[in-house]
Amino acid sequence: MNPVLETIDLRMVYHVGKMEVPALRGATLRVEVGEYVAIMGPSGCGKSTFLHIVGGMLKPTSGRVVIEGEDLTAMTDAQRTDLRRRKIGFVFQRFNLFPTLTAEGNLKLAERIYSGKKTQDPARRQGVLRLLGLEDKTHHKPLELSGGEQQRVAIARAVINRPAILLADEPTGNLDTENSDVVLNMMGQLNKEFRQTIIMITHNAEAAARADRVIEMRDGHVVRSRVPAGAVQGRP
Amino acid sequence: MDSLIAANIGQRPLRTAISVIGVALGVILVTLFVGLARGMMHDAARRQSNVDAEVRFLPGGNVALAGNPLMLSARYADAILHGVQPTADDPDLEPKPPIYGVAATSAVGEYVQNSVAGIGFEMVDGLDYASFINTTHLTLAKGRGLGDGLAPDTEYEAIVDRYYADLGKDIDGKPVRIGSKITVLAHEFTVAGIYEPAVLARVKIPLRTMQQLLGGPENCTFVMVKCERPELADQVVEQLRRYYPGNRVILTNEIPALYSQGLAPVEIFLKVVIGLGLIISVLVILLAMYTTIIERTREIGILKSLGASKRFIVMIIEKEAALISAMGVTLGFAVALLGKLWLEANTRLIVELEPKWLLIAALIGVLGGIIGAIYPAMRAANLDPVEAISYD
Repeated sequence: MNPVLETIDLRMVYHVGKMEVPALRGATLRVEVGEYVAIMGPSGCGKSTFLHIVGGMLKPTSGRVVIEGEDLTAMTDAQRTDLRRRKIGFVFQRFNLFPTLTAEGNLKLAERIYSGKKTQDPARRQGVLRLLGLEDKTHHKPLELSGGEQQRVAIARAVINRPAILLADEPTGNLDTENSDVVLNMMGQLNKEFRQTIIMITHNAEAAARADRVIEMRDGHVVRSRVPAGAVQGRP
Repeated sequence: MDSLIAANIGQRPLRTAISVIGVALGVILVTLFVGLARGMMHDAARRQSNVDAEVRFLPGGNVALAGNPLMLSARYADAILHGVQPTADDPDLEPKPPIYGVAATSAVGEYVQNSVAGIGFEMVDGLDYASFINTTHLTLAKGRGLGDGLAPDTEYEAIVDRYYADLGKDIDGKPVRIGSKITVLAHEFTVAGIYEPAVLARVKIPLRTMQQLLGGPENCTFVMVKCERPELADQVVEQLRRYYPGNRVILTNEIPALYSQGLAPVEIFLKVVIGLGLIISVLVILLAMYTTIIERTREIGILKSLGASKRFIVMIIEKEAALISAMGVTLGFAVALLGKLWLEANTRLIVELEPKWLLIAALIGVLGGIIGAIYPAMRAANLDPVEAISYD
């Protein structure tokens, strides 16, 4: 089976003045299509750097990142941007919606960036909004929505163009327990119903428990891969 | 509001308004200054050429509005018509024949004074009325013509054209009528008649009075020469150049072109105004869009996380700048139009809003905006996506 993502000996060194600060020291990981992976680890262990490299927002110092057969590390900046447009969906802790646009406007913008056209697929948009329980919020701007609703709009925006991988960076970090639960349920539903591959960074053990697999990172290494307690066995 | 560009513009209405006004200022500057300069130039040239006399005889030098306006002996008018013969007072005078083909001549003084309305300037003619009407098709709509300026009751009287009468005010601020008092050359004159069509200056006074007031006795600014038949004009010009060298002889129909040449400095001024308009538009949009980019760094990071290309980001910023500029151009045109209407209603200035210059003003506004947005747009497009999305 071909993996949707494969990182091989991924290394990243930041230069702070004359100092070299290693963030990744040879992270190797393989994620299969439709897998729901949680990445855990202490602050500074390289989780976010890993996510940004996988999302094509950073170029690693060395190593390889292959997404659906395309080697991200051999690409130019423009090619990485194009791959991100085609294959990656991002969800952030701080939602990162456009405050001047409505929920639907945020989705349309993502569709327009993806397709390059004004004419889009309203049926798909409505379907995603319905799945995420946002049918009656389409004309609301982010500030008119609760934190949970904003994060659901952000998830809708991330999956509207059917990305190969959904990258979520602490998606429940700014939410209370109830809203966290709703958002995690939605992500679980996307994974189960649409086989959406999800890679989620979290500090929250309960959130990680929803994943098929938990990757633990320490000091820039992937140190452990385990199936969380209570997870359904036998997933790819 | 689903359009990011429209939403961004609406997000900061005050800054948008200031940017729009900034662009509009450049457009107003170009539109009004160019319109005013060309309007006044064309109007003056039109009135200069709107006479029957085919030939104009001037002192040597430039026809431009400068120096003492009464530099030519008024005796040339008589000499051209009747010729010159030695006299007892001047037995050495070189005899010259009458110029063949000349039907009438008239000496005219022309003076530029500050506009009584307070803005701009206006011309005043000094006429020998009796000879002047033989060289033009001037007719009196109301009142009577000018006297010779010798009799005390004709010394300080004036005739004005219909435009002046319709839009002008007398010294009491009332509409100009026969008998109204108007200020000419810092003196009070009584309106004796209203004439049409507009020929040369809008206000005419006796040449003798002008000579006394300006200290140029026996002098005029030019002599108008009416030919017996229009086709004799070239022959008359040739004779005048031969018999009176050192003076300038031009055909009346060349005057509009001469005005354009004589007012070359105005064209340079207009280019400076256009340059200033462009610089204002560029700077206003550069500042506004640069501030916008700083403020929206995080949003640019979001666009990058969504896979927006550099081109997409540049286009969003350029479109926003172009939209603001277009709003500025529209506002600028509206204000310029109101300015034109106000100036023409309250002064004797004429503003010509020619399509060519309106197009240039619009291009300056929009191009200035687009050029001004290039640096902020490139800066936004080259932001590091991770730093941008983490920006607070």
